[in-house]
Amino acid sequence: MNKKERVKITVNGSTFESLVSRRKSLVDFLREDLYLTGTKKGCGTGDCGSCVVLVNGEARTSCNLPAYRANGTEIVTIEGIATGRRLSPLQEAFVESGAIQCGFCTPGMVMEATAFLKQNPSPSENEIREAISGHICRCTGYVKIVEAIFMASQNITTDD
Amino acid sequence: MSEIGTSVRHPDAEEKVSGGLIYGSDYSLPGMLYGLILRSPHPHAKIKAINIDEARKLTGVKAVVTGSDYDFPLFSVAGVKNVDDRLLAKEKVRFIGDEVAAVASVDLETAAEAIKKIHVEYEPLPAVFEPEEAMKNDSVLVHEKVKNNIVNKIEIRHGNIQKAFSQSDAVVEASFETPIVHQSYLEPQSAVANWDAHGRLTMWLSTQSPKLAQMTYASALGLPLDKIRIVQLPMGGAFGGKLEYKLHPICALLARETGLPVKMVNTRKDEFLAGVPRLPMKIWMKAGCRKDGTFLAKQTEIIANCGAYVNYSQGIQLSATTRHDNLYRLKNIETDSYLVYTNTIPKGCFRGFGCPQSFFAFESIIDMLAGEIGMDPSEFRLKNASQKGDKTPHGWHLGSCGLSEAIVASTKVADWKNKRRSLPKKKTAGKAYGIGMACCLHVSGNRAFLPFFDGAASYVRIDEEGRVMVSVGEPDLGQGSRSTFALIASHELGIPVAQVTVSRVDTDLSPHGLGTFGDRSTTITGSAVRNAAIDARNMIAEAVADELNTVPEEILFREGFVVSKRDPQKRLLFAEAAKTCSFKKAGETVLGKGHFIPPGVTMVDPETKVGNISCAYPFVAQVAEVEVNLRTGEVKVLSFWAAHDLGKTMNPIMAEGQVHGAIAQGIGFALMEEIPLKNGKTIYNTFKQYKVPRATNMPTIRALFIESNDPIGPYGAKGLAEPALTPVAPAIANAIFHATGLRLTKLPMTPGRVKQHLARFPI
Repeated sequence: MNKKERVKITVNGSTFESLVSRRKSLVDFLREDLYLTGTKKGCGTGDCGSCVVLVNGEARTSCNLPAYRANGTEIVTIEGIATGRRLSPLQEAFVESGAIQCGFCTPGMVMEATAFLKQNPSPSENEIREAISGHICRCTGYVKIVEAIFMASQNITTDD
Repeated sequence: MSEIGTSVRHPDAEEKVSGGLIYGSDYSLPGMLYGLILRSPHPHAKIKAINIDEARKLTGVKAVVTGSDYDFPLFSVAGVKNVDDRLLAKEKVRFIGDEVAAVASVDLETAAEAIKKIHVEYEPLPAVFEPEEAMKNDSVLVHEKVKNNIVNKIEIRHGNIQKAFSQSDAVVEASFETPIVHQSYLEPQSAVANWDAHGRLTMWLSTQSPKLAQMTYASALGLPLDKIRIVQLPMGGAFGGKLEYKLHPICALLARETGLPVKMVNTRKDEFLAGVPRLPMKIWMKAGCRKDGTFLAKQTEIIANCGAYVNYSQGIQLSATTRHDNLYRLKNIETDSYLVYTNTIPKGCFRGFGCPQSFFAFESIIDMLAGEIGMDPSEFRLKNASQKGDKTPHGWHLGSCGLSEAIVASTKVADWKNKRRSLPKKKTAGKAYGIGMACCLHVSGNRAFLPFFDGAASYVRIDEEGRVMVSVGEPDLGQGSRSTFALIASHELGIPVAQVTVSRVDTDLSPHGLGTFGDRSTTITGSAVRNAAIDARNMIAEAVADELNTVPEEILFREGFVVSKRDPQKRLLFAEAAKTCSFKKAGETVLGKGHFIPPGVTMVDPETKVGNISCAYPFVAQVAEVEVNLRTGEVKVLSFWAAHDLGKTMNPIMAEGQVHGAIAQGIGFALMEEIPLKNGKTIYNTFKQYKVPRATNMPTIRALFIESNDPIGPYGAKGLAEPALTPVAPAIANAIFHATGLRLTKLPMTPGRVKQHLARFPI
């Protein structure tokens, strides 16, 4: 049967309490219950990376994580990356380097790269490629995405 | 100062990077229901009975619909006379995935439960999956009226093929095969539909052509055209796959039945089971040349497996059958091409429209011919390359042609001559290295298959603040066509590109546009935008001439000002001039209208298929360097040098993006992607199984642009997006041959297939 669970999840700094079906994935909870449609759903099986969000600071796909299992966690979605209207340096780099075409993979890529650059602030090109290898982009051939992440890593380093 | 030729970012970039943009699958309406489709589990069966009672009784289920509840007409996609499809199957199903019934419910979970409670009684029929089997006299018929399952046969005869072969010093032949591959746009197909109190339908869709969707869904639902409004929403990739799709009108049907808005979104499994993937082909080709490299003759047989319904396959077949004949100065051509029904997934458009398939065969054969006479393959291509001013056997007028320049440019940056000599010697540690090339051409808009009209129209609206809004009928698929249209309008109006917005398409408001496909946006729609902007400019000039103490013809629009040519001191800010123009006409908005009908373009002759189908033809030469692992069979693409004659580079950053993305898709087609069928069933459901290129699979890419300045394209511009994909697979196949001496003729060239070849022909 369709059993429901009570959950308390913090998303982009706001805490939500809700009853969710055990079958509902975190991505569907974010998109349908919280109307945070910035997190995209490309495959539903954890293979394309478009639904990646930060769960307690770690990048992970949200389509294969039941929402109730995220009880008590802190989630950051793409809507929580910019400060007001000011884009993060990484987001700026995506815009500047032409890393965005259809843009459907962009939120997942930005979330992945945000977490990755925290762990590895000055990565090599190959490390960047490895880091985003769980993500599919069908438009850009990844060239300008890799450039954008590299560019952002340079900026972040100089800023610090 | 004009910004044409400078890099302009995508107008939606900020919204996309911050998650704010509402795509088709993000769209929702208050109180909407969710729909799901029940698909056939049989490749071919009679529907004996459908029982929906149990499904209907579930709490939350608002509608259950089946084909037998209605008398829907047969239909097909826009412009296709062969109407063979129905909204929901009636009496018979023809492939595993065929739409049988649909459910609308308050949530997806209940809808899924209801789908399970629909009981269909089938009587399985013998089925046919391979086109060669389907063409036999005793074969099962997919559609009773179509003899031998042959939907369409094309015969091409030019010159004297027998004589040309007898004069040839070298003759080669081979059989090639290309697989079913999915566009794999990242956003699955989706729809939201709602009916108003007057029985008018509005659909919010991510579609490449709102107008063709409107036409097709009107015929599928048996509605007059004016009862349907299509509002286009941003889409997460398309690549040809987001033209008409049955999910959309089925969603409309559920909304009508329930009187509520309904949303439907494909799962990835639905996409692999019942999307519209690339038309697979088996191609036999034979070619002959003189020992000096003069290309004399080519004979071809193409068998294309269109699956259960024709969709756009006839146009794709024509493109695959004819286009490659125009690349070189070839006079003697004989082709027999068959489009065949089978009980498999119906096929459709995918970037390249038949060319990735036919050029794989053709550009492999070219290398084989060159090899046979011991000539460098780049020299062979240069010797035979079509040139500007040529009229080809198919009646194409090449107003511009940068093929030779592209061959020279790509081989030069690739260090071709040196690598052709040195790479085969580099064989080390179980790895072999090689370099190969391939070329292609394409169209900028294709007159060959849509009967309605050719061309495009645009409105350029300027408000009293001087803000410019451009309307077109061609949606931006993400490739950035809106930035190109903004560049064109800003150039003609002498204002910064940031002052121009390009609206999305709405069939109630936008010009009647055929849509985005066939590389037509920049050339055809771009020209219409230019004409509309000039029209608006003339209106303003007319209105302010007195104030500037001159005549309209003597007024310039530049750097944000409207200026008298004779006395540049006399000038108005663009916004002031727009306000004057508007206020002189009691607040009327300045509305420029423009259209573009490509000159010299004709439909093809129904018999010979001769006809100048486009106003401008882009050309490409690409060079690939590969590493072949002789133990595992794995092919690694190391570098790509891609030279593109796009006429004029309108927006370099976006143009590069098109080339990079196309090469990624081409590498997928060449080495990884395939939907294998087992007894007609798609056995892949996920991206775990269906492998597309990842960041780690990509080579370094150098994109080069050849500006051949086409006499018809706006500012000289031609198409780019589609031909960028076409040569990738043959360039890689030719590089593998150079590395190993193995000629691979079946795509994808997976490690398993390469290993098989290596086992048979050890090197």
